[in-house]
Amino acid sequence: MELNKKILEEIKEIKNKYPDPQFCLLPTLHIIQREHGWISPMSLEAVGEILNIPKTTLKGVSTFYSMFTHKPMGRHMIQLCTNVACMIMGGEKLLDTLKKRYGIEPNTTTPDNRFSLVIMECIGACDTAPAMIVNANLHGNLTEQNIIEILEKYK
Amino acid sequence: MEKVLLKNIHNPLSADIDEYIKIGGYNSIYKAFEMTSAAVIDEVKISGLRGRGGAGFPTAMKWLFAAADPQKPKYLLCNADEGEPGTFKDRVILEKNPHLLIEGIVISAYAIGAEYGYIYLRGEYPNARDILVKAIKQAYEKNYLGDNIINKGVRFHLQVHCGAGAYICGEETALIESIEGKRGQPRIKPPFPVNNGLSLKPTVVNNVETLSNIPYIIEIGGDTYSKIGSPESPGIKLFSVSGHVKKPGVYELPMGTTLKEIIYNHCGGIRDDKKLKAIIPGGVSAPVVTPDKIDCQMDFVNLSKVGSMFGSGAVIVFDETVDIVKVCLRVAKFFEHESCGKCTPCREGVSWMRAIIERISSSYGLPEDLNLLMEVSNNISGKTLCALGDGASISVQSFIKNFRNEFEEKLRK
Amino acid sequence: MITVTINGKKITLQKPVTILEAAKIAGIKIPTLCHHEMIKAYGGCRLCLVEIEGVPRLQTACSQPVADGLIVLTETERVIEARKAVLEFLLINHPLDCPICDKAGECTLQNLVIKYGPAAGRFAEGKRKYLENYEDPLIVRNMERCILCAKCVRMCDDVQGASAIAITNRGAKSYVEPFSGGRFNCEYCGNCLTVCPTGAILSKMHKHIYRPWLIEKEVETVCSFCGVGCSMILQIRGNSIIRNIPKTNKLNSELLCNKGRFGYDYINNSNRLNTPLIKKDGQLQPATWEEALTYTANKLKEIKEEKGSEAIAGIISGRCTNEEAYVFQKFFRLALRSNNIDSSAGFAYAPAQKFLEKIFGQGVTANSIHGISNSDGIFVIGGDPAFVNPVLGLQIRSAYKKCIPVITVGYADGLRNFSSCQFVPNPLTETALLAALVSEIRDKKTLSGERPAFEEIINKVQRLTPRDISDTCAIALDELNEALAILSDMTNPSIIIGRDIVQTMNGHINLMLLAALVYLLNGRVYLMSELPNEQGLLDMGCQPDMLPSGRPLAIETFRRRCEEIFGAEIPSKPGLTFVEIIDAAFYGKIKALFVQGENVLFSLPNIEYVRNAIENLEFLVVQDIFLTETARIADVVLPGLSWAEKNGSYTNLERKIQFTKKAVDGHGMEQWKAIAELSKILGFDMNYSSEADIFSEIAKVSLLYKNLTTKDIIAGDCIWPYKGEPLRHDTHIGWLEVPDILPLMKKPEIGKIYCYKDACLFYAENSSRYSSALQSISPAPYVKISNALADRLSISTGDYVNVSTENRNITLLAKRDPHLPENIALIANLDDKGIFNIINWKLNHVIKTPILDGNEVIIKKIGGNNNPS
Repeated sequence: MELNKKILEEIKEIKNKYPDPQFCLLPTLHIIQREHGWISPMSLEAVGEILNIPKTTLKGVSTFYSMFTHKPMGRHMIQLCTNVACMIMGGEKLLDTLKKRYGIEPNTTTPDNRFSLVIMECIGACDTAPAMIVNANLHGNLTEQNIIEILEKYK
Repeated sequence: MEKVLLKNIHNPLSADIDEYIKIGGYNSIYKAFEMTSAAVIDEVKISGLRGRGGAGFPTAMKWLFAAADPQKPKYLLCNADEGEPGTFKDRVILEKNPHLLIEGIVISAYAIGAEYGYIYLRGEYPNARDILVKAIKQAYEKNYLGDNIINKGVRFHLQVHCGAGAYICGEETALIESIEGKRGQPRIKPPFPVNNGLSLKPTVVNNVETLSNIPYIIEIGGDTYSKIGSPESPGIKLFSVSGHVKKPGVYELPMGTTLKEIIYNHCGGIRDDKKLKAIIPGGVSAPVVTPDKIDCQMDFVNLSKVGSMFGSGAVIVFDETVDIVKVCLRVAKFFEHESCGKCTPCREGVSWMRAIIERISSSYGLPEDLNLLMEVSNNISGKTLCALGDGASISVQSFIKNFRNEFEEKLRK
Repeated sequence: MITVTINGKKITLQKPVTILEAAKIAGIKIPTLCHHEMIKAYGGCRLCLVEIEGVPRLQTACSQPVADGLIVLTETERVIEARKAVLEFLLINHPLDCPICDKAGECTLQNLVIKYGPAAGRFAEGKRKYLENYEDPLIVRNMERCILCAKCVRMCDDVQGASAIAITNRGAKSYVEPFSGGRFNCEYCGNCLTVCPTGAILSKMHKHIYRPWLIEKEVETVCSFCGVGCSMILQIRGNSIIRNIPKTNKLNSELLCNKGRFGYDYINNSNRLNTPLIKKDGQLQPATWEEALTYTANKLKEIKEEKGSEAIAGIISGRCTNEEAYVFQKFFRLALRSNNIDSSAGFAYAPAQKFLEKIFGQGVTANSIHGISNSDGIFVIGGDPAFVNPVLGLQIRSAYKKCIPVITVGYADGLRNFSSCQFVPNPLTETALLAALVSEIRDKKTLSGERPAFEEIINKVQRLTPRDISDTCAIALDELNEALAILSDMTNPSIIIGRDIVQTMNGHINLMLLAALVYLLNGRVYLMSELPNEQGLLDMGCQPDMLPSGRPLAIETFRRRCEEIFGAEIPSKPGLTFVEIIDAAFYGKIKALFVQGENVLFSLPNIEYVRNAIENLEFLVVQDIFLTETARIADVVLPGLSWAEKNGSYTNLERKIQFTKKAVDGHGMEQWKAIAELSKILGFDMNYSSEADIFSEIAKVSLLYKNLTTKDIIAGDCIWPYKGEPLRHDTHIGWLEVPDILPLMKKPEIGKIYCYKDACLFYAENSSRYSSALQSISPAPYVKISNALADRLSISTGDYVNVSTENRNITLLAKRDPHLPENIALIANLDDKGIFNIINWKLNHVIKTPILDGNEVIIKKIGGNNNPS
């Protein structure tokens, strides 16, 4: 995917904020992840050109961080926490619920491209465990019932 | 006691600068700027404040090292990569009380002579990001950030930098690497960040909560502050309590409050009044303890006396229904997933531990597996580049030591 | 002064080093897997953990600096247990496939496990599984064997500067891969192979052939590709080179480039000549050595007698050794009595050196390559050192990483990310740019007064400001000002000069201006050299107007001295240069040509013209290891020995003399021997029994190589000025003219495109064409054009385009390049579709060199499809 004008503008703005172009790497990848839903090899090459960072180095950095995805994702990204606090509060059962309802397993996307599911380490919402982030929205105190109600709002 | 860190958080507009100023916010900046930077550091030193991120390093000591280094520019990095499972206290400050943090950062930057700062915020807190960005903008507008802060000739610029899902970036050198746009792998030390941190310039990395204590210390004075809490580790502390308690949440209490008080008085006791089985008192890197340690005071000194660790002050409570082996497996999986892969013992050893625990948990374990597991974890501990491997090792060991029978029950006979 | 105690041994150190280095000084070995002297400490493998008294935690020796009074223990039980633990961790995922692993026998991991254990594994789960990756033509990756020491990645990033591989993912899933995941598409230096401690990164060329214990001997020699002269070790079994590894020495440390490491396989090419050929009935037919030599001698004699000595000429290649070159010129001067001797070194290397030496004295270019990264600035012009002389290029890259400013003039892809300023001036405007640099810096600095005559000339250089030339050269004013500011701050920079600024219409003026720049900045000069012994050819007198030791033929005292030693008279009239020989052949003035190792129908512009010239000869003899385009039309072809099949010496671009050694037997005859035989038949005896014999004569004749012995050279640092007597500079520089710059201030017409020769990293003119390794990574013939031009002509990378000049054209693959100006196209000299097929035969008559600039081309996209038929 090519970087459109909006993305390029945003990257340019970021470049002004940092002393070294490589510092812009994570913010830039965040923009691409947000706009494209994933980070394609082509975007990496394009970013490499803009920031003057070798594309292989970029790939090494980009794949280090688990929130950057390197394959196309569904329209909505379900990021379900299963770390200790969420696990003991029933988080693992929710995996079964999602599988049953949407036929989706961790690191896969539904065939209609609606949801992708990823397992998160602690998302810092242990007081409302079990919890998940959908796109950029936090949902806590999940139960096997309300998780479906919540997800049904994401079309 | 009146809340300091959580002051005014029930006000829905608490994140707004005007609301913050209304309750006396940003006053400490004026006070601090009247003092010399050395005096500010001194005040913090007297306060006995220790880092709230997990390691508990005396804050003033870091500052002194960085302040003494003649290189320029200096950086102040706020560690908001709150990734320790069970911890969510910084999120409350970031979302509800961002100006307290900014005020703390500005004073700290003044103390060490830093001109630039970044708040390294974990990628999992998108909400906090928006709030912080807005708060920083407001602070610039009111001249609490910029080239001539409150017209006192102090220059400091601050911006938010988001991580992207890497626990290890909470380690200060990994955090620096990450800001520099590199793989978030810890650096070898020495050199230390206080001398060669971001761009190899003097850099102080402080936790959100640590920095948020600074305005209060300046307000009431280090000496008064040092009288709060337990004498060895004074001050106020946010406790994130989760798991099987009736009222999970973030609690602001003096250091040294006992586990019992936290769980039973503040959190209303165990959910469904079940029996308490285990407590992780400081985030999953801290060794698990059994209910008999419940009278232990929560602070850096007393928790290590009972074989655990104060860590980030994140208390995870387990009732009798919990399968300890499964918890241990989940903890090991967490560390395996988060190991950066740079050093051998952590990269290979932690996944080996996970494999053995997985075997035991699925009832395929052999009688000698527990000893093997202990040996593997011993072989990790003390040999890794950073503390992540050590954390994985002592945490797994604590589960075995405290609940050996549960593991043994699952072994193949 | 720091005193540390390691294992009870007291060590006193001048400066703080790491524990590892201190231990090494004390002769104590601490095992490591991720440490390498050339790369920054990493602390990842954890094998070098040691105990420090008073420190509870074990510390990594590779990163921990020593402090006074430190007490270190490296072999305690605790340390050994830790090493054992680390090795066990490494082995849980490392396959135990040593019996089929090429690294076995020289594998650091294997050796350490044998030393420290563990004896048996306790890991019961399945190991990580990855398929071995064969997608790359030269490098095989076996990531199951990878222990993630990251040495390859750090080598590639920090030393090579190529950043072609990275560790991707994290934790136990960490993985070393190139961007594509398969092919490396890198610079193919193979330095990652050198540092890999296990069998994770292997050379495809050597896979399943190389086993360390099968090596019967190792031969230390010098690379045969470029003028850097890297040291290497050829590993031999039977009569074959099994592998080639870099030698740890001062010159190239442990580094090699793609050509040096992989390219040597040309010697094993099945098309090697192994018998002499004589043309009979229009066909080259096998002949005996005796037949061939007698035939050749008779033909030469005949022509000499009938047409005179001046009708005979010799061209020698910069791949020939000093000994061969010496014998070659002696044969021509004494047996054939002709000074018509030259080589391609005469195109750029020799004129540049001669020019500078006249002003500054002999040896002005004899500077240590290592000095580059220690200078306070670098100015590069006329080529891409990272491609022409790759290991020298690494010095520039490393300097840049140390924040030493680098200014590059001209297109230099290999330095793109390693230059503070890089500009590609408009075609034909380099002279204006140089003049502006000289006049601006002159006006900013106080002249030293050291060379008043030259200063007078410098002062007369037309005053030009950046503003005057910015538009002409198409360089932004602020960039020019920035470069000038940087340049003016340099007090002892390295000035690196390449062919492209010399082989131009104004080459002689450019050299004058460069000399001025060198003088103004107190610079150290390096001349890029594409062949391993260009300097040696000059030193040996393979020039029409120079005798051995770079003494002009015109110096009668020296000529007499040589004649005394030779016992024969040397013709006093200077001979023809390379280009003059070709012209003379074309006009029928040269009748016989002896070509040693050069492929004139490939390496000169306008191949058609050169072919006509050569075909016009009465007699052509070619001595080579392949039946080159030139050899194919020869009357006699003599098979030579390749660099690995004979002894000899090379003198590199820093004028260091090094021996190349015979590693395997070849089928030809030593080039010098064949010449000596010819000479004998012609009645001039040259009785040499070996190369050493020749060298000792050189040491007698040459005032530069004076009294040098084999021992001196083997001892290593055989560097300028040896024990020699260099010529002093010319104090009367009356020969130097003040250039008139103003007429050169011409902007190229809008819309015109000029083609230039592209330097290709994988490609070193002739011999790389016979290396299957280099062929496998070498690109198909291409033309690089700017994105702007490509957009205008709707050309994408991969399209076929027609590139034409007035009367010639070729079809090439297009490559878009974002960094090229719109009016420049780059074409490499590849196969039969090189730039020399289309550009004209134009000469700079002052320095007698073929001109490579000012060639207008027209580029057209071919049809809609991609089939170039």
